[in-house]
Amino acid sequence: MKVWAVVERGTRDRTGAHGPDLRRVSHEIAAKAASLGDATVLDPHGSGERSSTVALAAALTERAKTDRPDLILIGATPAGRDLGARLAARLGWAYASEITDLKVEAGALLMMRTMYAGKVRATVRAALPAVVSVRPSAFPLPPDAASPTTEPIQVDASAEKLGFQRFEPTASATGRVPLGEARVIVSGGRGLKGPENWKMVEELAGTLGAALGASRAVTDAGWRPNEEQVGQTGKTVSPDLYIALGISGAIQHLAGMTSSKVIVAVNKDPDADIFKVCDYGVVADLFEFLPAFTEEVKKVKGAG
Amino acid sequence: MKILVCAKQVPDSTVRVKVAADGRSADTSGITWAIAPYDEYAIELALERKDRDPQTTVSVVTVGPARARDALRQALAMGCDEAIHVTGADAEKAEGLAVARALAKIADEAKPDLVLCGRQASDDDQGLVGPALADVLGWPHVATVTRFETVEGGTDVWKEVEGGHEVWRASGPAVLTVQKSEKDPRYPSLPGIMKAKTKEIPEKDLGSLGVDLNAPRLEIVKMEPPPARGGGKILKDGDARAAAQQLVQLLRDEAKVL
Repeated sequence: MKVWAVVERGTRDRTGAHGPDLRRVSHEIAAKAASLGDATVLDPHGSGERSSTVALAAALTERAKTDRPDLILIGATPAGRDLGARLAARLGWAYASEITDLKVEAGALLMMRTMYAGKVRATVRAALPAVVSVRPSAFPLPPDAASPTTEPIQVDASAEKLGFQRFEPTASATGRVPLGEARVIVSGGRGLKGPENWKMVEELAGTLGAALGASRAVTDAGWRPNEEQVGQTGKTVSPDLYIALGISGAIQHLAGMTSSKVIVAVNKDPDADIFKVCDYGVVADLFEFLPAFTEEVKKVKGAG
Repeated sequence: MKILVCAKQVPDSTVRVKVAADGRSADTSGITWAIAPYDEYAIELALERKDRDPQTTVSVVTVGPARARDALRQALAMGCDEAIHVTGADAEKAEGLAVARALAKIADEAKPDLVLCGRQASDDDQGLVGPALADVLGWPHVATVTRFETVEGGTDVWKEVEGGHEVWRASGPAVLTVQKSEKDPRYPSLPGIMKAKTKEIPEKDLGSLGVDLNAPRLEIVKMEPPPARGGGKILKDGDARAAAQQLVQLLRDEAKVL
């Protein structure tokens, strides 16, 4: 079987332009493609230019006409989901977004994905050829995995009726790990009482090398940017460790994070719904607990 | 400016979705339906434009079964000018690409300057229809949009990306798939509700639109609730320092995530 992995390069801080390094999910899909058959790893960002989705889809479609892959894997990042959908439509192929598992059975794809904003999970079947976007961490990379050899794809944007103008960075964006790919997320809710208290959250996140998340109440109030929101109308995440600080656990939030490996919840209300899904819960006043916890984490991290 | 918004009716976001007896679909009996949350943001963005420029008209279209009419009624009550219901026997189970072709047909007739869709509907969560619609129309599209402005030479569109926004300029018609944006979708006003009640909503039969409804299928083989969680260790006694020490020890030695 012929499989493509279409990779993406990480963004540079404060400019939003593509940097030199492949994203983690790109390594993951390249390894998955190699395990499924005859793999080609294509890199449309090699030139560092910012191309529109249309131009990328057109370039990949041209290449697919001669190369005839059976399956195209794309990382389910915001850009990857966008490209995957347009590419599938252009090719007229089956499409599944944000799959978390995949196997080939009797010439068809059997995949796992969540539906209803994470409230249920489904096994879905599609005929080949197909385009699939793969959720980060769905296929964890073996520690000894070699970097894939990528092949650049030439993208011609000259005929586009859409042009890039400029990048406007979010003032409070911290340039940390993207939420969707983070292994550790520290998420804050209304229990933090105000945006000025995020210094405490940032300090813990910094110590852990974590991405920052937030509940909807917090982004709605304008305390944190929308892009940090976890749950319905925000991001669905599945890190190794999710720490929920002062988040009560509305169903829309829980749907976006219950597939995390380990969930820690800190809340002063012992009846908060978040405690029903956590592995470790602490019923405590955040403002007393959090500084002490950050200090203890620093001790452990400092030791090794 | 003429704006066409594509909206879908889905289970309300507060609904606890249960798996039906067949084990491969959601049990929708007795649930509350609503406009998909991102589609509501798309309607809001369009209506904000109309607030600033009364010349702007906003039409809303849905492809869906008879019940989806309530979603259109809601959109009219929010302030949309007109609504189109594409319905019929195949409307509920049409695949994304087929829906995109049907919507493209409606757009061909309505000739809008912009088509707005939510970035994904919170039922299948595929996020396919917006980009596919743009492809059928042969238009560019911009995803995860939070804002747009008319400028000399076209429309500037703010696309949310990691760490900020990219601003793209569309020189002609375009499809925008809308992300959660600054303003929450408005509630219908009382006069809006009264007006919406009497508005005619033309129906079009999906099967008679003259578009190809054959599209690659994504078949649901099995549906199940997410793996159960719970039974976690709750630390509730003792002072903050003791709890912090205990949690760090558990995370390091038991969960092995530190």
